[in-house]
Amino acid sequence: MWHRSASFILDKNQNDTVYPADSVTLTPPPPSSISTPQNPNPNLNRNMSMSAYYQTRAAHHGVVTSDWLAQSQEAATRAVATGGQEIVDGGKSGRAFSVIDEFNNWRKQPDLAEAVAAIRALAAVIRNSEAKTMMELEIELKKASDSLKSWDTTSISLTAGCDLFMRYVTRTSALEYEDFNSARSRLIERAEKFGEISYKARKIIAMLSQDFIFDGCTILVHGFSRVVMEVLKMAAQNKKLFRVLCTEGRPDRSGLRLANELAKLDVPVKLLIDSAVAYTMDEVDMVFVGADGVVESGGIINMMGTYQIALVAHSMNKPVYVAAESYKFARLYPLDQKDMGPALRPIDFGVPIPSKVEVETSARDYTPPQYLTLLFTDLGVLTPSVVSDELIQLYL
Amino acid sequence: MPDTQALVMTFLTSLKNATARQTAELLRSVISQQRVPYTNQAGALIDAVKAVGEQLIAANPVELAVGNIVRRVLHIIREEDLSLTTAAIGELNLSAVSDDENDDDRDGNTTLSAAAVAAAARSTLRPPSLQTLLEDTPVSAAVPQTSSSGAADKSSRSRKLKHDVIEAVNELIQDIVTCHEQIAEQAVEHIHQNEVILTLGSSRTVSEFLFAAKEKKRSFRVFVAEGAPRYQGHLLAKELVARGLQTTLITDSAVFAMISRVNMVIVGAHAVMANGGVIAPVGMNLVALAAQKHAVPFVVLAGSHKLCPLYPHNPEVLLNELRSPSELLDFGEFSDCMDFGSGSGSPLLHVVNPAFDYVPPKLVSLFITDAGGHNPSYMYRLIADYYSADDLVVQRRAIAGN
Repeated sequence: MWHRSASFILDKNQNDTVYPADSVTLTPPPPSSISTPQNPNPNLNRNMSMSAYYQTRAAHHGVVTSDWLAQSQEAATRAVATGGQEIVDGGKSGRAFSVIDEFNNWRKQPDLAEAVAAIRALAAVIRNSEAKTMMELEIELKKASDSLKSWDTTSISLTAGCDLFMRYVTRTSALEYEDFNSARSRLIERAEKFGEISYKARKIIAMLSQDFIFDGCTILVHGFSRVVMEVLKMAAQNKKLFRVLCTEGRPDRSGLRLANELAKLDVPVKLLIDSAVAYTMDEVDMVFVGADGVVESGGIINMMGTYQIALVAHSMNKPVYVAAESYKFARLYPLDQKDMGPALRPIDFGVPIPSKVEVETSARDYTPPQYLTLLFTDLGVLTPSVVSDELIQLYL
Repeated sequence: MPDTQALVMTFLTSLKNATARQTAELLRSVISQQRVPYTNQAGALIDAVKAVGEQLIAANPVELAVGNIVRRVLHIIREEDLSLTTAAIGELNLSAVSDDENDDDRDGNTTLSAAAVAAAARSTLRPPSLQTLLEDTPVSAAVPQTSSSGAADKSSRSRKLKHDVIEAVNELIQDIVTCHEQIAEQAVEHIHQNEVILTLGSSRTVSEFLFAAKEKKRSFRVFVAEGAPRYQGHLLAKELVARGLQTTLITDSAVFAMISRVNMVIVGAHAVMANGGVIAPVGMNLVALAAQKHAVPFVVLAGSHKLCPLYPHNPEVLLNELRSPSELLDFGEFSDCMDFGSGSGSPLLHVVNPAFDYVPPKLVSLFITDAGGHNPSYMYRLIADYYSADDLVVQRRAIAGN
C-alpha cells in the first residue's frame, strides 16, 4: 500500500501481485460474532473495497447512482438468503443481538450523526447485557465498541464516538456511592441524552457563526454537512442577505442536494463544478465546510476536494471556517494525505473505463491546520491550535 | 444602590479617559455596596456586576479594556465562590461522618448531593470540554442551599465571599498598575547589544521596556516612526533622548525603506483578541507587513488587562473609531471642499481618520505580557485562565424564580 516510488512501472508490477492480497486485508476480518450479511464489503467488490461511511453519506445526501443501486440490490438479496444464519455463537450475540445491526438501524436515519448512532447502539448493548458488575459491563462494552470500530475502519466519528463513550464509562464507573443498577440506568440515560447533546451542538455552532456572516457576503460551501446547513439556515432565518456558491461535489454530487435545500430557504445559490473553485474564488468572502473528523494537529478530514479549496482560499487570503461538533475530535495525526486508512468510493463516470486505467477512488482528504482560519464547535470558537490542547486534556 | 448609580454616571461621562484601573475601582465599589442575600450570594454579586458592566460596555464598545475588566471581575466572583463552596463541603463531609446515629439516609443524601454538586460546580467553572461532554448539566442554584447547614456557618460564609472577592479585585488593580514594570523586567532577555529597534507612535509600555534595557547597560538604537496624524512618535523620541538613547525619527511611509536595517520591531497594543490578532494604533499593519517581508521579529507588548476573549469578525470596521478630520486637515483651507450646501448636498471631499488598525495573528512573532512571553496561538490559554465562558456576552438574564 505504500506507493512511494516514482517508478510507476515497478509499482505496477508489484501491484499486480500485491493488490489481490491487499483487498482481502482491507476488508475487515470476518469474526465469528458478527453476522456476515452486514459486511460492508460485499463479496462482489473484492477489488474495490468500499467505505461504508461514505456509502451511507451518499445514501443520505447524494444523488443515487446506478452502481449504488446495484450494490444495495446485491446486499438485499444476500440478506434474504442468509437471514437464517444470524444467530451465531459468541458472548453477546448468543442473545440474537448484534451491535452492528443496532448501529445500522440508527445510522439509516439521515438526520442522525454517526457518533450518536454509535452511542445509541452501545446503550442498547448495556440494556441487553446480563452483567452483574461494572467490570463485566465495561468489558462487554469494550468488545462491542471494538467490533463496531473494526466493522467500518474508515469512519472517524464512529471511532471517536465509541471512544468518547468508553471514556465516560471508565471515568464514572469508579464512583463509589452508586450501586450497579443505578449506574447502569445512568449510563443508558446519558447515552440517550447524547442525541440531544448532538442536536444542541449544531444549534450552538450555528449561533456562534452568525456574527461571521455579514450582509452581502458570498459563502463558498463544499460537501453536504448538516452542521453547515444549520448555520446557513439560521442565518437565513435571521434575515441576513448572503449568497452561496456550492460545489457540485463529485462523485456523490451532494452539492446538488445542498443547492435544493438552500433554494427552499430562498437563499441565492450558484452551482459550480469542482474545477471552477479557483475561477470564482475572488468573489468569495469566506469558505464554510463541515468535517468528518478533526485531527490532533488541528487539521480536518473531510470530503475529497476540501484540501484543494483550502489551498486556493489560502493563496487568495480568504478565511476558511470549519463547523464541527466536538465529538468529532479524533486522536489521529496524519502526516500526509496517504497516512490515513483508505476510504474508497466507486466513481461512476457514465461511460465504461478500460480496466487497465486506474481510478483514484479515495473519498476524503486531509487539510492541514495552517490553511484553516477558525473552527466553530460546541466548545466555542477555536483556532486550530486549541484542538490539540482539548484532545490532550481529554486523554491525559 | 443610588450611590453606585451616581458613580456609574460620572464614570460614563468621563469614559473618554476610561482606563482599566478606573473600571476595576468602580466595580469594587459596586461590590462593596451591594447587599447580598444569605443564599446564592455569588449570583447576586454577578447580577449586580453584570448590570453595571452592560452599561459600561454599551457606552463605548470600542474601549475593549472596560469589557475585559468586567469579565475578569465576574470570573473572580465565580472562582471565589467555588473555592468557598469546596472548602465548606470539605467541612460538611467531616461533620456528616461524625454524627451517624440518626438520619443516616439524610446524611447519605447530603454527602451524595454535595459531592455531585461540587463536581458540577467544578465543571461550570471550566469551559465546556470534551471530558464533560456526556455529563449532566449542573443545577447551579442548589449549591449554597444544600451545603450550608448552621446559621453561624451561613453568615460567616456571606461575609467571607464579599471579602475574598474584594481582595481579589484589589490584586487585579495592583496587577494593572504594575503591569508596565513586570513587562519591563523581561526587556533584558529580548534586547541585546548593538541592536536596532523600530517602534511606531508612543506607548508607555514600550518606553518603560526600552528604559529598563538601557538601565541594564544594553546599548541599542531606536527608530521611531512618527505615527501620523497624532505624531506621538515625536514625544517618544524626546523621552528617549532624555534618557540617553540614540534615536532616529522617520515618517510612517519610510518604514518599508528602513526596515532592512532593523533587528526587531517592538510595539504596544490597544487590545489583543482571542485569536492572537492585535488592535493597535493606525499604521501598525503596514509596519507588521514590512517586518514580515524582511523577516524581522514583530514583538507586541500588552498587559493582561488588554487581553479580550472575543474573536474579531470584522475588526477594521466594528472595533475601530473614526476620529475628527481636523487632525488631518486644516479646516480653514478646506472648508469649501467640505461644504454640504454645494451641488448635490454632499461634499466631494471625505476625510476618514480611523484610530486603529487590525494586525492579523500570523504577522505577530511574540506577545510579551506580564505573564511572560507567548506565541499568538497561545493566547486562548491565557483567556481560559482569566475569563469564564459564561461571561462572553455580558447581559443580565431575566431571572425566573431566583
